[in-house]
Amino acid sequence: MSFKRLDPEDFLVSSDTVTSTVWSDEAPNLQTFFTASTTSTNDKYYKNVYKTSDRSAIQFALAYGDKLGSGSAQFNDLVAQKTPTRTVYGQFRNLIYGDENADFNFGGTTSETFWAISVERARYKEKLLPASLNLQISGSYDLELTDNSKLVSVDTFLECGRVYQLISGSNGTSYDGGTGYSTDQGSYGLFLPDIATIVLNPLAISSSIEVEVSRSYDAAGENISKIFNAISGAAHFEVNSEETLSSDYVFVRARNSEFNYSENPSYISGSTGDVLFSSLINNPQSYMTTVGLYNDTNELLAVAKLSKPLLKDFTKETLLRVKLDF
Amino acid sequence: MGFLNNTTVTLDAILTKKGRELLARGDGSFSITQFALSDDEVDYSLYNPTHPSGSGFYGEAIENMPLLEAFPDETQVMKYKLVTLPRGTARMPVLDIGYSSISFKQGSAFTVRPQTLNYLSQTQAFETSGYTFTISDVRLLNSFNGVGIDTPEVQALNSTSTIGTSVSKTVVGTSLSMTATTINTLFGTNTSLTATLQIVGRDSGARISIPVTVNKV
Repeated sequence: MSFKRLDPEDFLVSSDTVTSTVWSDEAPNLQTFFTASTTSTNDKYYKNVYKTSDRSAIQFALAYGDKLGSGSAQFNDLVAQKTPTRTVYGQFRNLIYGDENADFNFGGTTSETFWAISVERARYKEKLLPASLNLQISGSYDLELTDNSKLVSVDTFLECGRVYQLISGSNGTSYDGGTGYSTDQGSYGLFLPDIATIVLNPLAISSSIEVEVSRSYDAAGENISKIFNAISGAAHFEVNSEETLSSDYVFVRARNSEFNYSENPSYISGSTGDVLFSSLINNPQSYMTTVGLYNDTNELLAVAKLSKPLLKDFTKETLLRVKLDF
Repeated sequence: MGFLNNTTVTLDAILTKKGRELLARGDGSFSITQFALSDDEVDYSLYNPTHPSGSGFYGEAIENMPLLEAFPDETQVMKYKLVTLPRGTARMPVLDIGYSSISFKQGSAFTVRPQTLNYLSQTQAFETSGYTFTISDVRLLNSFNGVGIDTPEVQALNSTSTIGTSVSKTVVGTSLSMTATTINTLFGTNTSLTATLQIVGRDSGARISIPVTVNKV
């Protein structure tokens, strides 16, 4: 009498993809770059990059990895090639390839070194959006990089999910309609949207715009600072995020003959249950304000309110779509 | 030419405390199978069947009322349900327990057997799903038991004990059996203690509240 069973077709599970900008303040293009004003023990592994000089929100982190451990000082002079850059190399190799014997392969060219751009977790929500990347790197000229997601018909997968090559171009395609690779050093890196990471190929970047890594066994090489200066010098970093939101919808249908009376005490006159106004006997009207969703044992599991009372009588049918987000 | 009204209204639902509890169990007990509608907050005395502008304006004072957001406490929402009854119904289902108040002595027992009037085309009827009984201060009673409904869910509810600062208690049954407290210190300098008993028909949605008084011996 006061409860109505829902049919299977009254339930709908919906997954919607929502895209948005990655950077703070909803800015589509990151144009200002700051590193921390104080030194940290993590500086030899990575450096965080901020949008504003007050360093209020990290945008992404920069790291440098080297298979032989060059580009930073050894942990212990008695143990060769064991350095922070070697640690970073192994860390990303494990993450991307899941194979301790794998080499980084950039469009057919293997490299012992790389720069990694890791977008802050809070910024990208779930994953990066392919074809939204436009990154410029400053050297002998400004190199414009994007992913090749619009050039490939079938996605490539590694241990870290989808993999696209970084190419010279914009918005997921090359400028000249070709591969967009460097002249002789393969692609400019890898775009890994599912782990929100961009890996740059120093060989290709060096051959194109002459930004080179130092491979000495000391901290003087400042390889992270080199790529930071190249990115901040060009001042153009666009990439969007992509998130899938799942919602449950319940369609609540009140037919014309249903829910036209109320157990509201103000609907009743006296203790005998007489309807308050005689006009409500043959033309009952009720005003719904709340929808309650119950289980089989009449336990109230979820509740939704209307913005204002909705009239219901024998001449009206009502369809309400109740959205449940988990 | 004009635009047609969109007939589908989208509402964002929130989980109640009970809903969150069942969802957290992860055992499939969170399963929405039915719905109900209510008109909490609506005062039908504002309905004006003598409005000078005609029948289209009878509910004017109600229809433009802004509503509060939903409360997650399941005991504070869906209080007054909309019900489906035949057209021409002149009397709504109401609960009758035969008393307008309950007064009994320390240590004595009392049984409440509600009936629903004007229900299912009968003058008097018992609801098959039973009734929900809530006492506002269970400290007045040595026992407060719902009787007559033996489903596992109801048995689990009826065996729940109340501790801490929450002193109300809810049970389900076709009847209620209760025994007044024998603890004298609870009275202090008072000769009687009073609480409120609320009864809700689980099928009809009809409800009644009556005072319960325990007199010191």
